[in-house]
Amino acid sequence: MASRFWTQNSDSESEEEEVSDLEDDIPLGGEGGGALPSKYLQGDSDSDESDDQGPRMVRSAKDKRFDELVQTTEQMKNYMKINDWVQLQESFERLNKQLEKVNRVTESVTAPRIYIKALVMLEDFLNATLVNKDAKKKMSPSNAKSLNYMKQKLKKNNKLFEADIEKFRANPESEVEDEIDEDDEDAESADGFSDDDIVERTMNSDEEDEEQEDDGGGWTSAEKKPKEMFPKMDPGQISWEMVDKKLKEIIVARGRKGTDRAEQVEQLSYLARCAKTPAQKLEVMVHVVSAQFDVNPSLNTHMPIAVWKKCVQNVLVILDILAQYPNIKMDETSEPEAENETEKGADYEGSIHVWGNMVAFLERIDDELFKSLQCIDPHTKDYVERLRDEPLFMTLAQNVQAYVERLGDMRAAARVALRRVEHVYYKPQEVYEAMRKLSELQSRVGGAAAEIVAGEDGEEKDGEAVMKASTETKGPAPFVLTPEIVPRRPSFPSVNRKLMDQLVTLIYKHGDERTRARAMLCDIYQHAISDEFYTARDLLLMSHLQESVMNMDISTQILFNRAMAQLGLCAFRESLVTEAHNCLSELYAGGRVKELLAQGVSQSRYHEKNPEQEKLERRRQMPFHMHINLELLEAVHLITAMLLEVPNMASSVHDMKRKMISKPFRRLLDINEKQMFTGPPENVRDHVMAATRALSKGDWKKAVEVIQSMDVWRLLGQRESIMEMLQEKLQEEALRTYIFTYSPYFESLSLDQLMVMFGLPEAQVHSIVSKMMIAEELHASWDQPTRCVVTHNMEPTRLQALASQFAEKLNVLVESNEKAFDARTGGGGLEGLGRRNKEGQDYADAAGGRRGGDFGGNRSGFRNNRGGRGGRDNQAGGRGARDNQGGFNNYNRGNQGRSGYNSGYQSTRYQDAYSSAGRTPYQAGPASGINNRGVQQADAGGRMVSLSRVGSNRF
Amino acid sequence: MAQYDLTAAVAPFLDRHLVFPLLEFLQENQLYSDDQILKAKIELLAKTNMVDYAMDIHKSLYHTEDVPQDMVDRRAEVVGRLKVLEESAAPLISFLQNPALVQELRSDQQYNLQMLQERYQIGSDQIEALYQYAKFQFECGNYSGASDYLYQYRTLCTNSERSISALWGKLACEILMQNWDVATEEVNRLKETIDSKSFASPLSQLQQRTWLMHWSLFIFFNHDNGKNGIIDLFFSERYLNAIQTNAHHLLRYLVTAVIVNKRRRNVIKELIKVIQQERYTYSDPVTEFLECLYVNYDFEGAQQKLRECEEVIVSDFFLGKQLSENGFVTIPLRDEFMENARLFIFETYCRIHQCIDIGMLSQKLNMNYDDAARWIANLIRNARLDAKIDSKMGTVVMGTQSPNIYEQIIEKTKVLGQRSYALTSNLILTSAAVTASAAQ
Repeated sequence: MASRFWTQNSDSESEEEEVSDLEDDIPLGGEGGGALPSKYLQGDSDSDESDDQGPRMVRSAKDKRFDELVQTTEQMKNYMKINDWVQLQESFERLNKQLEKVNRVTESVTAPRIYIKALVMLEDFLNATLVNKDAKKKMSPSNAKSLNYMKQKLKKNNKLFEADIEKFRANPESEVEDEIDEDDEDAESADGFSDDDIVERTMNSDEEDEEQEDDGGGWTSAEKKPKEMFPKMDPGQISWEMVDKKLKEIIVARGRKGTDRAEQVEQLSYLARCAKTPAQKLEVMVHVVSAQFDVNPSLNTHMPIAVWKKCVQNVLVILDILAQYPNIKMDETSEPEAENETEKGADYEGSIHVWGNMVAFLERIDDELFKSLQCIDPHTKDYVERLRDEPLFMTLAQNVQAYVERLGDMRAAARVALRRVEHVYYKPQEVYEAMRKLSELQSRVGGAAAEIVAGEDGEEKDGEAVMKASTETKGPAPFVLTPEIVPRRPSFPSVNRKLMDQLVTLIYKHGDERTRARAMLCDIYQHAISDEFYTARDLLLMSHLQESVMNMDISTQILFNRAMAQLGLCAFRESLVTEAHNCLSELYAGGRVKELLAQGVSQSRYHEKNPEQEKLERRRQMPFHMHINLELLEAVHLITAMLLEVPNMASSVHDMKRKMISKPFRRLLDINEKQMFTGPPENVRDHVMAATRALSKGDWKKAVEVIQSMDVWRLLGQRESIMEMLQEKLQEEALRTYIFTYSPYFESLSLDQLMVMFGLPEAQVHSIVSKMMIAEELHASWDQPTRCVVTHNMEPTRLQALASQFAEKLNVLVESNEKAFDARTGGGGLEGLGRRNKEGQDYADAAGGRRGGDFGGNRSGFRNNRGGRGGRDNQAGGRGARDNQGGFNNYNRGNQGRSGYNSGYQSTRYQDAYSSAGRTPYQAGPASGINNRGVQQADAGGRMVSLSRVGSNRF
Repeated sequence: MAQYDLTAAVAPFLDRHLVFPLLEFLQENQLYSDDQILKAKIELLAKTNMVDYAMDIHKSLYHTEDVPQDMVDRRAEVVGRLKVLEESAAPLISFLQNPALVQELRSDQQYNLQMLQERYQIGSDQIEALYQYAKFQFECGNYSGASDYLYQYRTLCTNSERSISALWGKLACEILMQNWDVATEEVNRLKETIDSKSFASPLSQLQQRTWLMHWSLFIFFNHDNGKNGIIDLFFSERYLNAIQTNAHHLLRYLVTAVIVNKRRRNVIKELIKVIQQERYTYSDPVTEFLECLYVNYDFEGAQQKLRECEEVIVSDFFLGKQLSENGFVTIPLRDEFMENARLFIFETYCRIHQCIDIGMLSQKLNMNYDDAARWIANLIRNARLDAKIDSKMGTVVMGTQSPNIYEQIIEKTKVLGQRSYALTSNLILTSAAVTASAAQ
């Protein structure tokens, strides 16, 4: 209660209204014992409460709030006197907060009278200030800023209380009674009142119609049916100001609760037709497009397709305007309502600025297309229908790109080009051809449709058709006629490679880092699906993407994974088994291919995903038509793994030192071997396992038969040649496996017999066996006169083998000792290192400070002697065959180690279980060293060091 | 053999004047028709100032005495320009031709410039004129003059870009005058400049490296120590990169140099790696030979390729240089190459065979039986192969060199003790040092 008295005091100094207001209050407060404060405070508060609990409690809390309101209003008055907008702004915000509290207490939604009064006061003052330009100029910057802020805030705010304000203005005097009434009413029947209020608000438009009639055409409301918007106007009479004012009103309503988004779009499109000048039309159109984007508020669902199509048409119209009036500039920097530039007519020569960003629009449209493809069930007709919209998007993108190029904003052009690339890169020539044909067909049909089927959405290849249709049905013809300037159908070069080259060159030249990286990946993907393995691989290596991709966003990482998968498939088609395996093995290392390629979600036993993550993941999914066939991918991966692993296993039965090449494959094999009963093969894995069993016995015929019976091969284009390639590879590996496994039991092997057994020509058998001899995998030599392989049986006994291993381990021990010493003392170890490197031991990474302590590198690094390509100097100049190579100089960051290839291909580790779909980090540094074992490693290590220095010099 | 002719690939990386010897060689070899080559020559000369020569060629090509008017015009123009340049460079040239005055120059460039400016009124304009004059001389084919002027220009030049140009010019002059020793020096100087200079774009640096490699081919296959030089240069990391990026055809020369050079066997492994990497963009019989031998162990194929190699070498300008001695025309490099290649084949053959029939071998090596036996005996002696000739059976029997398992283990553990000992002593040393410093 004390506060009441306190406020009373302060209030007494204020204006009469307030005083009278409070005077009315005082008796009420007095009832509760204001006269005898001390007594109640001392002890009998309980009894006091029980006396008149209900009303008094309510009143006190409520009153407190009200008092605060009053107080703030007072403060505001003071601030107004000294013209302090900064403080005013604060007070205003406080006022709003207090209003909320008051409403909470009174359980009503209506604003108290005093609040409205404050608003009115503020508004008047604001208007007065705004009129007084001089004063405005004299203001301090912060003050002016606040003024601006207030201007906007207040306008918005006042909208909410328009009715109340109106009422207040109508009879400012009656407030005293009202206030009291209200208080009472609040206490007794808050519910009824708030209901009223809700009704009032929802019926806003109706009410405002009435108001408008009162005002006689001074349209102040925002929400009306388009036709009612200019009710008494002949369209010809509508002036620029009217449209402008209207537009601002609609914009203000945007994003507010309760605004019907679809209706807003309609209103805006109507406005667009009413627009007086091209610039204004443009301005309105921009808002139409934004409003259309608003139609679908959720991130997870897509924009309705009809709206999407209209939206595309609208953007095309915007482009038309921009093309027609080159003096109209569109940028994001210009203040939305800076000056009335848009008033200037079509014949105005100077530049006009309109706010907006074409590229952002385009990207949004693309995102929506992508999302809709994600959401639509790919097995329905809808999906196909939706896919047919792609050429439409391509048209738009092409036009936008042309526009930004005309503006000279090459960076934006690169962004747009990337969007286009992303629609093309995954299409093989045949699919591309189909799209091209479709777009041609559509444009022909569309042309006819423009005349016949007006207003139907299905065929609007031709934008104007819809425009016309809508104008015919919904209103008068637009004031500003926009002829169709930009082409309404895409021009596709006949070969998709050409389109890619053209776009990608632009991006390499002008794009930012991410854009270029993505374009590069798309380029790699495209090359890979068109069977240009070496080009694709060189691009990948020269861009050094495999090192930097882990720092990029998830969708780029997914793209990288996709490109790698295609590269693997491509290598397989080119019968490069090792390369194929290297590309694919890391995708399969974690057993979560689906997630890595964003082609579905695999259930994991160990990590429960929370809904948030799931949602995110779902948002990343690739649309179905972009999928890479997982079965085929798995088949290729397992077969390549088999071809490498089976001889490897055979060669290292007793030798624990040899590393396995493919862990997933081994695991599968183990599981398979544990099975009690193996049935006939059903899925891809079963087939490969069956083939593996046959192959490890050297029975290539059965292996070939099993592999060839797989039905994924129907997905491959050149099936015959690939089957042949597979057979040959299987024969070769069977030979190797056979020799590994059985040579200890032979004194000599006849060349002729081997030829017959494995169905290989003499030269090949000779070559394979010789290679094994040179590599010391086989301890034998040829006896030339008798055409025999004579084995020098020197299989060590168990004891010998163990002794050898023991010696090996000792070596490791000493090495790690030395390394520990070097690490401690620093420096001194380097010369010793050189010596050790010559011994061909596992040291390469010591130069850079060994990070991972494991000696278990990947043996495949040894096989993969492709390492050198990483160190390419700079491809751009000399090749010259491909013009876009000039663009990616910057990608080639110096000559990195020759083992770059290995590091990229081989070294992904799945570290973070939660970064579910992303590319898990690559270990660029140490892994590369480990991979590159043996003799090569010595020079690789040395070179890594010198090269990194070179790199820094040169760039 | 025209399909293996590299002139077209090499020419873009050479100076016009340097291409000329290549064309001459082609003409001699008659790989292409005379007319074609003569036309190419005229085209080549069109941008140089050797108009008289161009006229001669024109006459022989069309068998006329008439010369097209534009050539005559050009001649007049060239002569006119020569006069102008000569005049503008005259003061400096007269200064430089006076030995007494040249004595006054010191090693300090700044001082020289100042001195010239003050005493002889020779400023940067004259120096620039000297460069232009030298260039013009070069264009006219007066290489020795150009070489001298460029040498002197370099001592006075302050512009680093120009300085490099002058270096290139000097190198070209030396090559064309066949001063291989001087040219080698120039190559080294140029190499240093290229490696040390920070180029605006890595691309131009790459370009310069590629040029240097091409130009140096002239030297390497003529200079005595060239075969080492080429291996050193081409195998240095950045140049190898340049080859892989820009000039795959240089692999041929590299391979040849490696095969011919007995002492540089150790680089073969790396070379093979490079060849395999580049196989999809470049291969010719020379690289394929190495591939057959060391990747596929296809000896028949290697033989086949070797025969092709011979032709390639003969028809290659750099490799097929002819020497006439006592009326015999020999191609020294070919003989060397064949000999060494044979050796390679044999060695590899021995490594994977236990027993080889000499008769078969003699066939493979293109020798008769006795020669082959003698050749093998020599080899065994020279290369210290563990092999014996069984003359009764007519075979070579290789000793098996499988290492004993005990030896292996001993070998593995031999150094361990030593290393551990060294480690311990190091440890003690450092710890002693630490304690000592701590004590202080």
